[in-house]
Amino acid sequence: MSDSPDRQESAAPLEIEVEGLRKTFGRREVLKGISFSLERGGFLSIFGPNGAGKTTTLRVLATLLTASAGSVQVAGHDVREDPMPVRRAIGFISHNPMLYPDLTAQENLRFYADMYGVEGREARVTELLERLELSHRRHDVVRTFSKGMRQRLAIARAILHRPRVLLLDEPHSGLDPRAVDILDGLLADIRAEHTFVMVTHNIAKGLELGTRLMIVESGCIAYEQAAGGDPASFTAVYREHVQEGPLL
Amino acid sequence: MSGWAQFKAILRKDLIRELRTRDMLVSMILFVLLAMVIFHYAFTVKEGADLTYFTGGMLWVTFIFAMLLGLNRSFAQEKDEHCLDGLLLCPVDRVTIFFAKTAGNLIFLLIVQAVAVPVFTLFFIERSYAGDVLPFLVVLLLADVGICALGTLLATISMNTRSRDLLLPILFLPLIVPVLIAATGATTLIFAEGAGFADLVARLLFLLGFDAVFLVAAWGTYDFAIGE
Amino acid sequence: MKKLVSAPALFAEAGICLIVGLLLGFWWAPVDASSLGFSQKIFYYHAPIAETALVAFGVAFVAAIAYLRTGRLTWDRLSYVSVRLGLLFSILVMLTGMIWGKAAWDTWWAWEPRLTTFLLVCFLYAAYWVLRSVVDEEQHRATYAAVFAIIAFIDVPITFFATRFLPEGLHPVVITTGDTGMEGSMLVSFLISMLGMTLLLAALTRRDLAIEKLKDRVADLKSTIGG
Repeated sequence: MSDSPDRQESAAPLEIEVEGLRKTFGRREVLKGISFSLERGGFLSIFGPNGAGKTTTLRVLATLLTASAGSVQVAGHDVREDPMPVRRAIGFISHNPMLYPDLTAQENLRFYADMYGVEGREARVTELLERLELSHRRHDVVRTFSKGMRQRLAIARAILHRPRVLLLDEPHSGLDPRAVDILDGLLADIRAEHTFVMVTHNIAKGLELGTRLMIVESGCIAYEQAAGGDPASFTAVYREHVQEGPLL
Repeated sequence: MSGWAQFKAILRKDLIRELRTRDMLVSMILFVLLAMVIFHYAFTVKEGADLTYFTGGMLWVTFIFAMLLGLNRSFAQEKDEHCLDGLLLCPVDRVTIFFAKTAGNLIFLLIVQAVAVPVFTLFFIERSYAGDVLPFLVVLLLADVGICALGTLLATISMNTRSRDLLLPILFLPLIVPVLIAATGATTLIFAEGAGFADLVARLLFLLGFDAVFLVAAWGTYDFAIGE
Repeated sequence: MKKLVSAPALFAEAGICLIVGLLLGFWWAPVDASSLGFSQKIFYYHAPIAETALVAFGVAFVAAIAYLRTGRLTWDRLSYVSVRLGLLFSILVMLTGMIWGKAAWDTWWAWEPRLTTFLLVCFLYAAYWVLRSVVDEEQHRATYAAVFAIIAFIDVPITFFATRFLPEGLHPVVITTGDTGMEGSMLVSFLISMLGMTLLLAALTRRDLAIEKLKDRVADLKSTIGG
């Protein structure tokens, strides 16, 4: 099912361990037994056609959904038994910015900082606003922000509490080039010491950033490999599954 | 990052948001004032009709329906911007969210009542109840807690369903009848005949009991109401 | 023992008890000495139906808690079936209550504690139905319904207290027969009817639950075949 010879070689501890993950909504089985693991510092790029279950998998990792069966461990804790430490350890960036439109950028960040118990709240908020080039708009309500700016603020929200694991759901989609640069720069900055799981349709980004690549299709892992191989051959496999795969 | 700090953070966020947009407050206050005018026209069909023993009822019916309006508003925002996800990602006890939201709704209801009660007194109350203001306020507060606690719990459920605006009143109204009975009885007594704490003991204890029971029930079930 | 609690047996047992109770109540027990007279006899059905309705809601309450704790849908089915039966019985309570009211005091409706409580109970559990109908996804539906079933059941005694404990003093019609001591023959007839009604509830619940389980199986098979 999965071909990952580097699993035995890796000495880094496992940050994410998924075993037999199943998820049913009513009678519809969306995830049919997903198993994978990711070592600390790794970057997993997940590809797949729409409706394959990629986002569902991510949401289970984020404790937003409960698995119907199987075990999921993130940052050393079981997401079902012990969700609190998991929540402290993860940051989630999706195409929903999850920001309050009638609060200012600063108020949004302060709120989340308080919720996560971030120490040195003011300094951290200021630091991130500068990093994401939003300082000049810190007192403006988010309703007035462009999509790119909201995404940038959402990134700030996600890394505010210095999470060890970052979960990204198509983070590059809808971003203007400047925002893409800022995001990539940020990811590069925090690349070391952090673990990433990114769902994306952008093969180039996925290949560029990932240490491990996975294609999910109809709730199962259709293909898995360590990064570093020939991009063309992976692209071929990708097209096989995503473009010409069975219709959902 | 104690529960208390998170409670304050959520409450502060909701207060800032509401005071800035005044969405809920304006609609609720307008509704309440309009309702009073409508009541006048609806009930004074006969010349010199005496509404004294209807006053408690009119007041509380108005507040309950105003709260239903407000609750729909307050949760619609969380849902529409997917902010609820953001909140659920935080390492926060779901029950803390419940208490913070209930407290916020309570504050908004009290603000609305602060405007409504004087106007209502002006429109409908002839007898002065100045001596009984304190018991009146206690009745108000106790009934409000019950209304807000139950309302917040049910709004959390109904906002996730297909017909969220229509569902909430159907779920809420049968459950709130006991509060309505007790609050109306006490309020009418105060307005019509005057009543001190001694006269109202039974009703006050009942309201207190109701609040306690449903706060505990909400505590036990809120995890499920807000999850997934 | 198993034979005694199988569905057909339960129906038979219920039937026997109810008929015996009816016969005893009408022919053996004396006519009520109070002003109610013969109309009091409806009490042999009215009260058991009422108590059985509450038992049904109680079962729904327990099943709801069980569902929230275990996540197994069977509990949800039990809760749903019990609420439906409880609702049916509640409507019957009101109908028999109204008939009694008409016979005894010549009025179809009175805002007295028991009737009003059951009226509210009907609305409450009708709301449960509406809630179920507007949630599409099965697990969500079961979860929300369970929360509501729990809250609703807690509210039932509270509502009763509210209507009774705080009398408005405006309605003189109060049915108090339940409080007066019942002498021997009346008591026996009453208890047999009670037993019969409860057995009837058990029989209906069992049958309805079996039907729901069958429906689930059909749906499962459909989705496996249909994809």
